[in-house]
Formats: sequence, structure tokens, C-alpha cells
Amino acid sequence: MRQYDLITPEGTKDYLFEDADLKRIVENQTRQLFKSMGYSRLITPGLEFYDVFHQNSLYFSQEELCKLTDNKGRLIVLRPDSTVPIARVVATRLKEAMLPLRLYYTQPVYHFAPSLKGRSTEIHQTGIELIGSASRMADIEVISAALSVLSSVGNTVNYSLELGNIQIFKELMLRLNATPSQKEEIRVLIEAKNYPALNDLLDKIGEHKITQALRKLPTLFGGEEVFDRACEIFRDSRITEILENMRDLYHTIRDMNPDGRITVDLGLVNKTDYYTGLVIKGYLEGYGEEVLSGGRYDKLLSEFGYDIPAVGMAVNVDAVANVLGKKHKPEQKAPDILISAAEGCEAHAVRKANQLRAKGLCVEHSLFSDPELSIEYARDRKIAKIILIAEDQIEELEVNLHE
Amino acid sequence: MNKPLRIALTKGRLEKDTVKLLESLGYDCTAVHEKGRKLILPVPDGNLEVVLAKAADVITYVEHGVCDMGVVGKDTLMEMNGKLFELVNLGFGKCKFALATKKDYPFYDGFGIKTIASKYPNVTKAFFEQKNMDVDIIKIEGSVELAPLLGLADGIVDIVETGTTLKENGLEVVEDVAQISARLIVNTVSLKMRQKEIETLVRKVEEKINAETNCM
Repeated sequence: MRQYDLITPEGTKDYLFEDADLKRIVENQTRQLFKSMGYSRLITPGLEFYDVFHQNSLYFSQEELCKLTDNKGRLIVLRPDSTVPIARVVATRLKEAMLPLRLYYTQPVYHFAPSLKGRSTEIHQTGIELIGSASRMADIEVISAALSVLSSVGNTVNYSLELGNIQIFKELMLRLNATPSQKEEIRVLIEAKNYPALNDLLDKIGEHKITQALRKLPTLFGGEEVFDRACEIFRDSRITEILENMRDLYHTIRDMNPDGRITVDLGLVNKTDYYTGLVIKGYLEGYGEEVLSGGRYDKLLSEFGYDIPAVGMAVNVDAVANVLGKKHKPEQKAPDILISAAEGCEAHAVRKANQLRAKGLCVEHSLFSDPELSIEYARDRKIAKIILIAEDQIEELEVNLHE
Repeated sequence: MNKPLRIALTKGRLEKDTVKLLESLGYDCTAVHEKGRKLILPVPDGNLEVVLAKAADVITYVEHGVCDMGVVGKDTLMEMNGKLFELVNLGFGKCKFALATKKDYPFYDGFGIKTIASKYPNVTKAFFEQKNMDVDIIKIEGSVELAPLLGLADGIVDIVETGTTLKENGLEVVEDVAQISARLIVNTVSLKMRQKEIETLVRKVEEKINAETNCM
């Protein structure tokens, strides 16, 4: 039998030194940001019952879920998403809590990726959920957090934040006379901006106001001019209202962030989405996919029996760290001091090291009894100072690192 | 000056057709004609860079965003199923996927599970799934026509252009699976980050294609 004891499963990796530091930098920055905005941390288990992700408004495909069974034969999954478990927690243990709830998380999610595509199975995410408010200000708050995350990397690379609204597509679908499988096909083609195939399919369904609008939907992306074009196409009071609200939101966001690029795409219609209105995506130049995504999910909590609105977003930490790492590698800082203790002086050495550490220094113990070996080790490890502790004396030595 | 837009072309016939299209739009493709063994070639006046790759790799490069755009056949797109935008049907490189068997072979008769040989197992799987039919699929790398002749498979799913190869080997098309032609694909982030440049190029390409179809 082949042994797989020296490698990690496909789509996972070990994070060593710089990679681990980069990930920590991104996580710390976002964590501080979220905390400063009044968000509290929530940790949900890595394992959840399959049923949590098997709700009416959700779609996680069988292939992508990492499944196992518990000791009673029940189906368990590695969490494919953090928003759904948080909705579960809020609808149960936080049902009596004061609203709105501001929650953040930093934890991985798991999706089996197609083979040999260079995609990860384990994706580290950090994100926020603002639960219990349908207000415009709630949307603005989440978008502003997304912009802060993007701009913290964006001072070195171009970034762009995109707004969409799934409601427009849903309204059109309500009015379209087509089978559910045709509707799903239409959604797939709009998502892929596959104009030729979309036109062919809509030709079959027939030419009227709704199909004309659907043809245009995936082309409606860009800057503010999109709203004018959209208003001309969708002459419908409900959709016009959605568009006017979006335009207001767009203006507000542009006012608070005049440097970054804010774009609109009315053709954002993803499948996994529990989203019911606003959707956002964030892009960084040099990364081929979105680095953050989010939106409003007003019906998700009601799946768990607590009917309140919510909005949130998640950042792909690995993606942001990847872009950041191309710009600057975090320095691997050598310890400040090496302490070498003669036999019998270990307690003294540990006390001394703790004193120095309390002052903020990084201190290592030498594991060699021979001071010469300690000096050699310090030179190799680029530690500039050694403290030799013996029965009757303490000696400090500068190490010549250039020898 | 901005980084040039990178467009990946499928080596071979699609590459030639695309270069012809680019030249008819006024781009100077001299470097592509005189490429030697180089795989990344500049198109100076268009602020474009042409990358030459195998069909499946075109999709991979565009999906990961290391190339902004690509030209690839619908056959490979159907087999690979990447996350990208499929903006334009370029019209050239036309052919079709078809199910073929030995002449007069009663493929749909009986209750036994059928065996299908194909270079395109995913396309084959999707086609029969949509018919709610369980089939055994065997992946073949070379001339798929051999499989039914040697008795390995009941039928094949393969690309058919003229049908000559099928006919010469005593096979015939039972059913069309899908129409194929070259597509212009775009990375999902590139389209947003470099919208103006890409849309300008796409519009020119579309106008040219529409003009040509109207002539015919």
C-alpha cells in the first residue's frame, strides 16, 4: 500500500516563515480594523452537520463539500462557508441578544477544488456579519470595511470595488415565463457573460420586454453611466426604484473613497448565493479572481427560524497575502539576544531572559554547554549579542556578524 | 504606459485565423509571423502581447489571470468548464461534437449499458446525463474511430468537421451533441480592471465579424 505520510492532501499547504507571517499580517490588520468598528469575534466549529448547509435558499454542490460521518453515522461536513454557521448561531444562542449584532471571524473554509487547477481546498477567510438591520447605513458600513481592507493593500497596487444587486435579476425572473431549468441556464450564461449563447437561448423563449432586458443585463457593468443605460432598458417601477437606491449608494461610496475605483456590474448572479439584494466584490490588480465578496442576505436567518435581515462580507486572506507578498516580503527578524548558561545556572538564565523579554526583546536560550559553540550558533543565526552566564559572572559579548 | 493586454491564442489553425482577424483590424502582427521558437510576442501598435499555448492551457492562463484574454475552441471550453467570461463567438474554427457509431448500428436499442469512447469524457458525461442515460466512458487519446471498429465501444463522441474520416471507416453520425466554434474569453477580473481597453478591442472584433457574416 502506498504511504502518504510525507505530503499534504491536494489543495492544502504548510505555511512556513514568510508565508505564515504574511498571512498573520493580513489577519491582524483586518482583525484590528473589524475590532475598531465594534465587531466581536465568533469562532464556529470546523465540523458542522450537513443539514446546516442544505437549506432551501442555499446551494452547495455535492462535489465541493468535504463530507464525513460522525460516530452515529450522521453526515458531517468541513465548513464550506462561515456565514451560514454564524446565521445558525445567531438564530439559536443569540436570539435574545440586542440587535444589531456585529460579528467577525477569521477561520478557514473548505471546498474540494477541481484537480490540478492550482486552487486551494482550504481557504483562509476573515469577514464580518452585520445582523439585524436592513438600513442603508448598514450596507455602507460593510462596504467601507471592504474598502479599508482593499486600500490597505491598495497603496501598492490598483484595486477596485464592485457593486451589484441580485434583486434586479430576481425581479426579471419572476416575470419571465420559462421552466426552472431554462431559468438556471439563463443565470449561468449571464454569470459567464456568454452573450452569444444567451441570445440564442432567449431567441427560443421569445422576443419581449423581459428577454430584451435579460440580453442587456450582463453588459451592464462599468462606471456611473451604467445606471442611465439601465434605467432606459428597465422601464419598470420596481426595478427603477432598486436602481435609484443603488445610484445613491454609489454616490455615497464614491464620496467617502475618492481614490479607489468603484464600479457597478448588474450581471453579478452567482449560484451559491444566499444574497437577496446588494452584492459586492473586491479586486486587486495581479490576482485573477475576486479577493473579497459579500452582500445582503435578508432571508438566510429565517431558514433557521429567526427572520431578521443581515449584510456581510468575507476576505480571502490567502489571495490578499499573495498580492502583498509580491510587493514586499516580511523580514525574518533574528532574535536580539542569545543567552548561554553554564551548568547549574539555568534558573538564573531563565530569569534573566524573562526580564529582557518583558522589555520587548526577543531572547533565545543557547542549548550548547560550550560557549564557543554558542558563539558560532549566534553567528549563523545572525544574533548580534550573547550573554554568557556562569556561577560567578555575567559576560556580554557582541557577535561580529560580518566575519 | 500601461502593461500590454495579454491575449493567449490556441496554437495552430485558430492562431492563424485570429492573427488574420487582428491584422484586418489594423494590428501589426509581424512578430507573430516571425516568431521562431518564441512563445510570447509583442504586437507593438496595439499595446497587445500574444501568448501561444495549447487549447487547454489558454483556458488555464486566462482563468488564473496571467493572460487577460484568450482565443479557444468551444470544444475545449465545454471539456474544461473554467470560471471566465465567454464574450464573443468568433465564428471561425467551426465544427461540431457528434455521437457516431458503426453504420446502421442500433445504438439506442436494448437495455444494456452502452460504452462510449471519447477524447472528451466530460462532454460525453454531460451529454448522456442530460438524457438520463448511464454509460461507461473510456478515455482514448488518439484516433477514437478505432474504438467501435475494434469492438471496445458502442459509439464515440468526437469532433466532426466534414465527416470524411467517419465515412472512410464505416462510421456515421447518430446525433449532434453541440456546435463548436472559436470563442474570445476574458478573465473575470481583467474585464473589470481594464474595461475600456478590452471593450474597445471586443467592439472592433464584433463589428468585423458582423460585417463578414452580413457579406456572406
